[in-house]
Amino acid sequence: MAAIPGTERRPALLRTATPRSAVSRLLGRDWRIAWLFLLPLLLVLVGLVTYPFIAGIWLSLQRKVVGEPAAWVGLQNYRELLVGEQYAGTFWNSVRVSLTYTATAIAVKLLLGMAMALMLNERFRGQTLMRAVLFLPWAMPTIIVALTWRWIYDGSVAGLINFVRVEYFGQEELVQFLADPKLALWSVVTVAIWQGTPFFTMMFLAAMQAIPGEQYEAAALDGANVFRRFADITLPSLAPAITITALLSTIWTANSINFVFALTRGGPVNATMTFPMLAYEVGIAGARQLGLAAAVSVLFFPVFIVAIYILTKRMLSTEGRA
Amino acid sequence: MATTMARPAAVRQPAARRTLGARLRRTGVRNAVLFVGLGIFTVWTLFPILWIVSTSLKPDRDLYRKVSLLPSRITNAHYVEVLRETPFPTYFRNSFLVASATTVIAMVVAVLAAYAMTRLSFRGRGFVARATIVTYLIPPALLFIPLFQVAQQMPFTGQAAGLVVIYLIFAVPFSTWLAISYFNTIPSDLEDAAMVDGASRLRSLFTIFVPLALPALAVIALFTFTHAWNEFLFALLLIGRDSQKTVPIGLHEFVNGDVFAWGPLMAGSLIASLPPVLIYVLAQKWVVSGLGGGAIKG
Repeated sequence: MAAIPGTERRPALLRTATPRSAVSRLLGRDWRIAWLFLLPLLLVLVGLVTYPFIAGIWLSLQRKVVGEPAAWVGLQNYRELLVGEQYAGTFWNSVRVSLTYTATAIAVKLLLGMAMALMLNERFRGQTLMRAVLFLPWAMPTIIVALTWRWIYDGSVAGLINFVRVEYFGQEELVQFLADPKLALWSVVTVAIWQGTPFFTMMFLAAMQAIPGEQYEAAALDGANVFRRFADITLPSLAPAITITALLSTIWTANSINFVFALTRGGPVNATMTFPMLAYEVGIAGARQLGLAAAVSVLFFPVFIVAIYILTKRMLSTEGRA
Repeated sequence: MATTMARPAAVRQPAARRTLGARLRRTGVRNAVLFVGLGIFTVWTLFPILWIVSTSLKPDRDLYRKVSLLPSRITNAHYVEVLRETPFPTYFRNSFLVASATTVIAMVVAVLAAYAMTRLSFRGRGFVARATIVTYLIPPALLFIPLFQVAQQMPFTGQAAGLVVIYLIFAVPFSTWLAISYFNTIPSDLEDAAMVDGASRLRSLFTIFVPLALPALAVIALFTFTHAWNEFLFALLLIGRDSQKTVPIGLHEFVNGDVFAWGPLMAGSLIASLPPVLIYVLAQKWVVSGLGGGAIKG
């Protein structure tokens, strides 16, 4: 008993019956043991997130090439990205690509996810099996999904899509899904949609199951058809779930490097150069300019602050409901 | 017998009315829509997965020379190759160790923190809760450049064990947040009774909370494990030596070599997908019903 850490705090607990000391009034009854229990969490939050975050901003103000000493350059990196001769074109291209990639992926995932959830919310034979099957992509490692699609997209006749086109549809020309600048981004978006849709489905399905059945019964008695009931009952009830899911997915989709990395590495001619990929190319792969790469990430951060702010508020307000 | 007969009917009645297409039920339109819609979604979902399976079982001849959708004969050659002639088993072991260690550490940190935040009275609780969520939401893409720089000076870098530290960035805020949600649902009188008995805080945590929340904690652990298992970017940045690689980077390099060995690659992919997919199938019931609030996957 005495060997269990934390037992020495017992007097503090007993003290609650007596008038509290000034310190406890100020810091709360259990402040000592509370902060002791929180210590590991705080180490992670400060050491692994806050510190690198600040280090990233600091780094973005320096000229730092891997293996060489850093030099303070102020806002030089930002100027180079925004208006500089060498990088501005690439940077603004990555803004455009990231926006197209994220907006398209989120919009399609939302529509498909909603359709899937509506169908899976119906009762039919084999419903459980159907759910398990349709959720599979979500469980697979992203990099394996990316590699599989790279094989499906293969530009030779060995690639699944090209094979089917040639063999069953009599097409002669082989399509270069990942090498054609006009197709590459849409090919990558398709993969993001394939894997990401089940998350939307899952979130919508969970929210649909919380809608009381009486609402539908009442609407049905009033003669409302399927579409009316969807617009009047389902959609309003799902609004919070739609917001949370779309915002979460926006953060993850925009910041994920995996699909682009494994499918195109940003090419052809930067057609799929999203901003995390650009940061990687600038900082890790090519010139190894860490300061410039950090500036790429920092420039995109304000976009996510809004999403993080809204999500934090929503998640705190639902805390008690589990 | 009578009860088993009566129960499904009693359950089905209200549930049937609840769904959107209930009125169309008898018209057959609903069934047609469901059949076609789900059919399309099933094909869309399954064709890449079946392509993995098919590729992994085909002889090379079917893959490159006389291409076919299905194997002309089934071979285990690719599986033998990936398991015997590549470091894949090492990658697999590394992934398993990294994911397990991440999960265990994250769970301990999360349980302690969640207990403090749901059951102890202290100033600053709201701030820590907010910081936890914000940390969970901060995308790693914003951190990987500075972390890469910091990690180069760390003793663990280059070793799979170093990844565990990095993976805590996601795992700890995520599991803490979910653990808080579950602890909040445990009635507090249980614990008050234990306090009267003189049990210490730590004892009440491990004798009352953890056992009560065990199913929930198991689900959180499964998600944490899956995330660490699937992680790619940091493994790519920090691991160089073959002996330390995890499955995602190991497999990725199968492709970057000169020869595109799709057969062994797809065999390896299938094996590597099994742990997360099995975990997910087992936990599926809780995935939809339990984990609301949006804190599912990073």
